Amino acid sequence: MRSHKVIEIRNLTPSTYIIRMEKNDFTFKTGQYITLGFSGSIDRREYSIYSSEQDDYLEVLIKEVEDGLVSKKLKRCKSGDYLDIDGPFGHFSLKENEISKKKFLFIATGTGISPIHSFIATHPDMDYQLLHGVRKEEEAYERESYQNNNYILCTSREKSGDFHGRVTDYLKQNPVPSDTVCYLCGNCHMIYEAYDILEKQGINLGPIHTEVYF
Amino acid sequence: MKKVAFKTLGCRLNQYETDAIASQFQDNGFKLVPFDKEADVYVINSCTVTHQSDHKSRNFINQANRKNPDSVLVVTGCMANNAKTELENRDEINYVVENDQKSSVYSLVEAHYNGEIFHPTKLNTDLFSYGSTDKGFHTRSMVKIQDGCDNFCTFCIIPSVRGRAVSRPIQDILDNVKRVVATGAKEVVLTGVNIGRYEYENYKFDDVVEQILELDGDFRLRISSIEPDGFGDKFLGLLNHPKMTPHLHLCLQSGSDSILLQMRRMYNIKRFKEIANKIRSVRPNFNITTDIIIGFPGESDQDFEDTCNIIQELKFGHVHAFKYSIRKGTRAERMNQHIDERIKSNRSEILRNISENVKADYRKGFIGKYQTVLVEKIIGSEAQGYGESYVPVKFSGVNLKKNQFYRVKISSIDFNGEPTLIGVSD
Ligand SMILES: Cc1cc2nc3c(=O)[nH]c(=O)nc-3n(C[C@H](O)[C@H](O)[C@H](O)COP(=O)(O)OP(=O)(O)OC[C@H]3O[C@@H](n4cnc5c(N)ncnc54)[C@H](O)[C@@H]3O)c2cc1C
Repeated sequence: MRSHKVIEIRNLTPSTYIIRMEKNDFTFKTGQYITLGFSGSIDRREYSIYSSEQDDYLEVLIKEVEDGLVSKKLKRCKSGDYLDIDGPFGHFSLKENEISKKKFLFIATGTGISPIHSFIATHPDMDYQLLHGVRKEEEAYERESYQNNNYILCTSREKSGDFHGRVTDYLKQNPVPSDTVCYLCGNCHMIYEAYDILEKQGINLGPIHTEVYF
Repeated sequence: MKKVAFKTLGCRLNQYETDAIASQFQDNGFKLVPFDKEADVYVINSCTVTHQSDHKSRNFINQANRKNPDSVLVVTGCMANNAKTELENRDEINYVVENDQKSSVYSLVEAHYNGEIFHPTKLNTDLFSYGSTDKGFHTRSMVKIQDGCDNFCTFCIIPSVRGRAVSRPIQDILDNVKRVVATGAKEVVLTGVNIGRYEYENYKFDDVVEQILELDGDFRLRISSIEPDGFGDKFLGLLNHPKMTPHLHLCLQSGSDSILLQMRRMYNIKRFKEIANKIRSVRPNFNITTDIIIGFPGESDQDFEDTCNIIQELKFGHVHAFKYSIRKGTRAERMNQHIDERIKSNRSEILRNISENVKADYRKGFIGKYQTVLVEKIIGSEAQGYGESYVPVKFSGVNLKKNQFYRVKISSIDFNGEPTLIGVSD
């Protein structure tokens, strides 16, 4: 376990924030996650790394969950505080030999966009499309990080997004070519449904990668 | 002569580690006695995967203390990591040794008898320095290739009690296999916490298996428990090697995709079936055994039915099922929709019946066929052991010897207790 100093907190919405920490000598593969908690505390949770491999800092994107223990506490951390990091963990990663050759479809709900942000920031030349499922437009976290026509915001509670409905509705209406490599990240109901849809559209098991948050 | 007794709970890795520690005690003049007999030293290698395993460990601690209150009582294994303070506060326990220091249990006891005060935290923390297990309790020789797990399944406490995944250098593994084969081991079992994720320098799990299979000697290789992720087609191809036994314990946990996702398992039902079918397409009576968790939070009647169905469809040779129990600090502890204990018990009963029928059917398939049996025990003119498919076999013959292979023609099954194949050697 390593202690990392907090550099700054960036509030994106009233409940969602980014913690930027010193990177020190920490290395990871884009897509991986860490476990995070206040130094010395036993309460720790998993968070995907939001920043890129080459950034000289480490960032995580966190949404405060109602009645959530850790996500609420972390929101109150300040620059200069120390957080304990363990990891990196996880197998949600890009295949080196596919990055510059394949067409990618990233599907994320809510803060599930975090590892996708890291993918794209690490490999800005990737050929991708990103479906981001949220309730309201304000949850289009740092949308300016993505090339405009590659990012499709699906809003389920408002008509303000690029598509009104869930990401799964979008997928049903816009079938995916079968040679696409798909990465799914976020809540397990979306992953379960989207997986089913993609499979029916002929994407076979190999190219679907998933990371479940809750 | 001082006497030592061991009790092992939980996984095969624990069994391996006990065997290795026992060898050290024997090499140093200790006599091995059964756990229910009076001994000078008791070693309990505990498990903490379920509440029940904690409970069992506590019972064995009490039992050892009753048999000989003056004994040296050592508790090691996962419960020593998970409930360290509780255990350290019990006066009857002399030493609580965490997993990463387990290989030094003998040194600790030796120091104790020499009057040295040794704190377990000062011990060697090499996860692989166990030596060989040839004096252990089995004819199968286990070789540890890996420890720890980074998968973080939501129900599982292992990452916090066994630590991060660590792989043993490949050359050490090959040397260890050569050594046990040279000393007469006929069956080598690879063991670890998540062996499919083996990774050392550029070597992956399938490379280790391939290189072991290429070694000379009259032995067969068994893969113990493996997760259905982390290996690819190369490994499946190696399952056809003549030295490889046709048996895998492939942990399924649930037959429902939505439960698998909530468990954060890294495969789905389709992938699991694909693996099973690929294996069986080459060796139709390949023995696939599995683990199932009953009553994971949110498990609906339909989810449970899906589990029952897949057991029948995939004809598992054995199902190790256990009821879900909350482990503190895991993600599943914080999930909603925990299942009522009565429903879990009810489902357990249903699943047990199904698995027993499936197992009986699977074993009937061996009648009229041959198994190569490694003899572990001889009683009169009858020998007992396991066939290559990891099914128990009893057979008769002349001049039978322990730790030898015999080709046995199976003629019937004894359904008294664990269904056992009955045959005659060629
Ligand atoms: C591999 C992995 C990566 C993750 N990456 C991120 C990330 O990048 N950003 C991020 O914000 N979260 C991420 N999470 C989720 C995160 O680990 C925590 O679960 C989340 O922050 C809630 O923790 P808590 O202590 O605040 O809530 P808890 O006290 O654990 O839970 C409170 C209640 O909220 C529910 N709940 C838990 N998590 C969520 C959630 N995410 N959304 C809605 N309800 C929930 C619980 O079921 C419970 O009823 C990730 C999870 C995993 C497994």
